[in-house]
Amino acid sequence: MSSSLTARGLTDRSTTSEFEAKTTSNNAEGNGDNGITNAAMVTTAQPNGLGPGSTTAKLKSPPPEQQSHIVRRSLIAASFWLLVLCLGIPIWWKTTTIYRANLPLNQMMNWADGKSCSPVFPIRIVIEAPSLTEQEAQSLISITQNALDAMHDFPGHRLRLEAASQTSLGGIIAPHDHENNALIIRLTPGDIATFEPASSPHAHLPIFEITYPPNSKPTPEAKSSQLATYIAAQLRSTFAEEQAILSYFLATSTISSDQQPQGSHNRIDESLSKRMTRSMKYSGTYHLTFSLFTSGSNPSSWDIDSAINQYLRPVLDMLKPIHNFTIDTQVQLYAVPGVQSQVLTKEDLSSFINAAEWPLSPSIGGAPTINFVVYMGNQTIDLYSGEETSQSWLVPQWGSVYLLSPPAATHVPSEFLKQPVLTFASHLLSLLGTPQSGSLPMRLSTLTRVRSVDMLLRASSSLGSLARLSLALPSISIPPSVADGVAKSIHHLELACSNLGSTKSLEHARIAETEAERAFFEKSMVGQLYFPDEHKVAVYLPLLGPVGVPLFTSLVTEFKAWKTRKL
Amino acid sequence: MRSFLSYLIPPLFIFSDVLASDYHEQLNLKPLPQSSLLASFNFRSNTSLSQFEAHNFRYFPRSLGQILQHVGTRELHLRFSLGRWDAESWGARPWDGTKEGGTGVELWAWLEADTEEEADLKWLTLTNALSGLFCASLNFIDETRTTRPVMSFQPEGDHGSTLDNMHLLHGVLPHEIVCTENLTPFLKLLPCKGKAGISSLLNGHKLFDASWQSMAIDVRPICPLGQECVLQIEQTIDMVLDIERSKRPRGNPIPRPPPGHDLKCNASKPYHSGDTCFPSDFAEGEDWSLDRIFGKSLKGTCPLTDPDAPPVCIHVPERRDIFTTPGASEMKSPDGLSRCYQVPSEGDFSMMLPRMSREGDNAKTVADETVQPETPLLYAERSFTGHGQDRGGVQSILTNPSPDTIVEFVYMESLPWFMRIYLHTLQARVEGTSGAKDDIVEEIYYRPALDRVRGTQLELRVRIPPASTVFLTYDFEKSILRYTEYPPDANRGFDVAAAIITILPSTSPGAPPSRQKTSNLRTTSLLLSLPTPDFSMPYNVIIFTSTAIALAFGGVYNLLVRRFVGADEGAEVAGGLKGKLTLLVAKLSAKFKGAKGKVE
Repeated sequence: MSSSLTARGLTDRSTTSEFEAKTTSNNAEGNGDNGITNAAMVTTAQPNGLGPGSTTAKLKSPPPEQQSHIVRRSLIAASFWLLVLCLGIPIWWKTTTIYRANLPLNQMMNWADGKSCSPVFPIRIVIEAPSLTEQEAQSLISITQNALDAMHDFPGHRLRLEAASQTSLGGIIAPHDHENNALIIRLTPGDIATFEPASSPHAHLPIFEITYPPNSKPTPEAKSSQLATYIAAQLRSTFAEEQAILSYFLATSTISSDQQPQGSHNRIDESLSKRMTRSMKYSGTYHLTFSLFTSGSNPSSWDIDSAINQYLRPVLDMLKPIHNFTIDTQVQLYAVPGVQSQVLTKEDLSSFINAAEWPLSPSIGGAPTINFVVYMGNQTIDLYSGEETSQSWLVPQWGSVYLLSPPAATHVPSEFLKQPVLTFASHLLSLLGTPQSGSLPMRLSTLTRVRSVDMLLRASSSLGSLARLSLALPSISIPPSVADGVAKSIHHLELACSNLGSTKSLEHARIAETEAERAFFEKSMVGQLYFPDEHKVAVYLPLLGPVGVPLFTSLVTEFKAWKTRKL
Repeated sequence: MRSFLSYLIPPLFIFSDVLASDYHEQLNLKPLPQSSLLASFNFRSNTSLSQFEAHNFRYFPRSLGQILQHVGTRELHLRFSLGRWDAESWGARPWDGTKEGGTGVELWAWLEADTEEEADLKWLTLTNALSGLFCASLNFIDETRTTRPVMSFQPEGDHGSTLDNMHLLHGVLPHEIVCTENLTPFLKLLPCKGKAGISSLLNGHKLFDASWQSMAIDVRPICPLGQECVLQIEQTIDMVLDIERSKRPRGNPIPRPPPGHDLKCNASKPYHSGDTCFPSDFAEGEDWSLDRIFGKSLKGTCPLTDPDAPPVCIHVPERRDIFTTPGASEMKSPDGLSRCYQVPSEGDFSMMLPRMSREGDNAKTVADETVQPETPLLYAERSFTGHGQDRGGVQSILTNPSPDTIVEFVYMESLPWFMRIYLHTLQARVEGTSGAKDDIVEEIYYRPALDRVRGTQLELRVRIPPASTVFLTYDFEKSILRYTEYPPDANRGFDVAAAIITILPSTSPGAPPSRQKTSNLRTTSLLLSLPTPDFSMPYNVIIFTSTAIALAFGGVYNLLVRRFVGADEGAEVAGGLKGKLTLLVAKLSAKFKGAKGKVE
């Protein structure tokens, strides 16, 4: 380029001569080599004559350019542009583009907004009334159902009353086992002495026993009956806590307000929200770690195995359909608590666990760990709030601690551990988020439903976050595994939503949740953070600047020339 | 020395005794020449396999036990080492070298797996989990640093029939710097946690200030005859303390020259006089006490140990004076070379070894202060030879000091992939014995490196004749790494792991007991410098090539699309800034031409 510049600089100064004119016309043929020979000729020509400063020469117009030259020049410019557009840009695009798998964004946002699924649980309640006639039972059911529908204001529950199959109400109901029934109400006529209906929950089965006075038997014509009202009120109070928890989940999730229940349930119960934040994140399996920490060297062994088998195993067996548990135990001597004072106040309890020194590392494997710590020391808790017992407290989402004064022997027998293990059992239930009222089987079936809703909402909100993230960061790469995870998650969400309330739906919701989480936390999506746009500019500019400018100027010149020719 | 070793390494028949008590700990002290002190801490706890499988952890640490169960580890050996064992003056290594590793971190384990791929996956999980537990970068033991030794390691535990689907994997991190953050988790694994017993002496300031130290964790199943199998975890810390350095007070650790009257002078020098002094460092033994050396006293005993086993033993000649705090009882061993102390279970314990006067009526000699160290079976050193950034060589010098016995050992190198060795250059040259043959290498196992996939594994079985030295040499080529493969401190060099020498037990029936066991030895690690680029290179290359391309393209393209006309035929250029610039250029070039013409 510089050589051609000098060539032209010199041509400027050299004046008229036939020889010169001929060279320039040669040059106009557009041959690059000619330009250089031209320069050489000019330099040789210079000494023969005309000194510097002879700018007074007269200008002539250049000879008319041949049409073929003009066409050739346009073709050259066009071919370069063709090359850039058809080869350069596609290659650049192909090599630098970020792979973004197609995500079903609309579907994801619908799930997050709760438009795809409204959590409604059909709860089937069976009334067993062997003493009533078919007609009586039927009328009792319809009256109670009416009463329930009238007082019911929470859309998430759909309580359906049915008569038990033994009393056979025709072939309307498919034969079903106990698992499909949330509750069985067993009506037994009381003796003459009973004036009011009385109820008692069964300890191990989801059965509600109601004894009613014989005179409150409903008649087929009656619009209301004392017994029916009583049953309806009982059912309502039974499911009140579950409703509160469900509406809490709906309120705290991202589901838009029109899906939320209206009215009194809308306000979030303070104590309920406290209880919910306490509970662990749902998982299919939990590791339970029982640790004996001793302030000195005594005791150094304990009979925890038999204590667990005696006092905790029944609870774990009940929980088996929902959770699996693995158990490990350890003994640690010379453990110094995080708080040294003799009497622990409520503030001390949160820093009692000495996380730096106590080996309470979470178990290896994916499942979360729940810690149960028995601390043998002579510290006591200051009882100014009556909330907890004076010996133990629950650490939200972590576990529970029980203080014991050390026995004289080096071995702790299992009887000594009865109270701690029983406390741990109740703490375990509340750490798992089990409702507090009702019989244990009722609480567990509630837990299944509550957990499925929880998982469903979590998965939906993860999907929503992922959708928002992919919209907000256009330069983030989305690998196919993310799209795969999203598809799987949506599939399982649909399955979970279609049969809500069963253990199967809990399983589906759990899979959907893990898939959604995996898609959201995909590792390769973070890579873009390290390659900012400034970096690209720094790399491209030295090449694209000098190449782009001549291409553009030639395009503009050609365009102008073409325009003038047109005129 | 032999009796000392038999004390340190409990032969198998002691195990039955050990099983009665589930936890055992002992501190062995041994003054070494040149005013050094070897302190060997040994902690051993057992758990029955049934309790282990039921996840009931009592003495066995739960955090480690869970990892072992999760990845199906049958036997585990983990080493953290620092410094160099000076075999020339300190003699044979403690525990026959079986409880030490190469500089940095070393890990080997037998994993239960059906296929090699499964074993690799489990190994990955194991290294990651241990990395978290011990605050070490063990997760950097990837496939390029993992080997499967063939001849060098043998399982120590009783595995029975499960041995068939066990995979041995071995990994080293020579660059890892062992420090306090590795000691804290190590102590957490102990039942008494450094609060009572001999572990109360351990403290990071002293341990990592030592001339040489090695922390070891060994987990192995042991099945005594007729009893239930137990899983044993043995934790060992060995350190060689410089007595004078350790005695410096914590608050004033800067060494200062002693005042003139305290200087110990070597009076044998001809120029020795009142004002000239040649300091003699080790002429007179140091006085030391346990609490000064370790910075604190021993706090009682760990109550879990067998009360009959003495927790502290010292290996000194019988004539050495030792004073202890009251309450401790002394037990001398029959051979007069060591004594053990029963420590009171509560309260502090310390022992004092006064300076023994070399003059006067009751003059003592060096032999009264320290037991002469035993000569090791083999001396080994390894170094780089050659020069330049392209090729290099490695030379290992292995000396058998014994005048009459042949030493047979396995020499194992696991080299990084970027050190490509030429196996044909491997040579073994014997010096010392006249007429010795050079074909002393009996067996070679060689697994060549694959770039970025695995390193070189070289195992040699060698027999050294008595009183001779073997020079083992080979050449290698240094490869150039990719830009991103260089560490941040690339000019420091790359650490090459220590060579592991496994001395095989003697096969002759009359061999002494110390020769009937496998013993180990490791060379120091090496620092390999590779050709290192200028790390701003990629940007320079991008800008340079871009500029070159742009220049060429612009010139060619302009020539192609411009029409060239006569100067008088073009449009008027003199006006405006462009014209002025053109004139200026023309003037300058004319001047330049004129000057050039004059020169010519």
